[in-house]
Amino acid sequence: MKFKDRFREKHLVVKCGADMFLPFGLILGFYIIAFGTISPGGGFQGGVLVASTVLLLYLAYGFKVMAEAVKPEGLRKGEALGAIIYVLLGLMGIFAGANFCVNVIFDNGQVGDMISAGNITFMSYAVGFKVLTGIGFLLVLMLSLLAALDSERSGGDEKEVVENAGNDAAVSDASGEVAK
Amino acid sequence: MNKRLLAYIALAVILVCGIYAVSRHHNEGSLTHDGSYSNLKDLYEDPGNMDLSQVNGVADVIVQENLSKTMAANNVAAVVYDFRGFDTLGESFILLTAIAGSFIVLKSVAVGEKGSEKKEDA
Repeated sequence: MKFKDRFREKHLVVKCGADMFLPFGLILGFYIIAFGTISPGGGFQGGVLVASTVLLLYLAYGFKVMAEAVKPEGLRKGEALGAIIYVLLGLMGIFAGANFCVNVIFDNGQVGDMISAGNITFMSYAVGFKVLTGIGFLLVLMLSLLAALDSERSGGDEKEVVENAGNDAAVSDASGEVAK
Repeated sequence: MNKRLLAYIALAVILVCGIYAVSRHHNEGSLTHDGSYSNLKDLYEDPGNMDLSQVNGVADVIVQENLSKTMAANNVAAVVYDFRGFDTLGESFILLTAIAGSFIVLKSVAVGEKGSEKKEDA
């Protein structure tokens, strides 16, 4: 009984609170990523802020809805994509005839514009994308393990749900079908 | 026994190299900014009008030539993504490695539990 209580329908206040704070969290995180070069912040901090909305979804709606909403396979591929983009932006210096990670396109616009810093802005965006997908995927992994343990202990009714969820996060061939 | 002897020899070599590096650094002085020319009392009392003409080293480059070198209004972002871009690459690959490792471990645990469950059912 004790472990089944976690799968119970969540209270209305929790759902409404999550609905209220989720857009603010997303906007704050993306603002910190976007204006990282002209105000305090940057890719790492904003990425972690955006990834925290995964946890908010889990707290309000449970594991199944969260795993359908965020698509863990896409997160896993997005992290590798962010790393590749960062390396390519660093290689721009070598293609221009200088060292690795040299800022070669910085002289456009006035100081304080978003694009005036050149490479720094795009590297910050790449790191932000990489961190938000990576931390989101890590949270989905750990929560899937938690849901699997809960189903193991409680047994019975929720077995179907959690088996689908485990496939979704770990093997993830079926994630597209579940999302549809 | 041979492996343990080899480990002791390696540790001794590392220790000797470290002592040599520290003594040499102590004798020849630091190559970067050591804070000898910056007056911290003035900086604390009046940060806007601090005399920056005699500051030397990397701090000098970052404080005085940041705008002409990077055009970024945020000094910290300029340091993280431009002056130390290679360091940021390593940091982000630490995250990639950690997530790959936890993916492998947690996936194997979940699959093993499911397999044992099916065996128990059968």
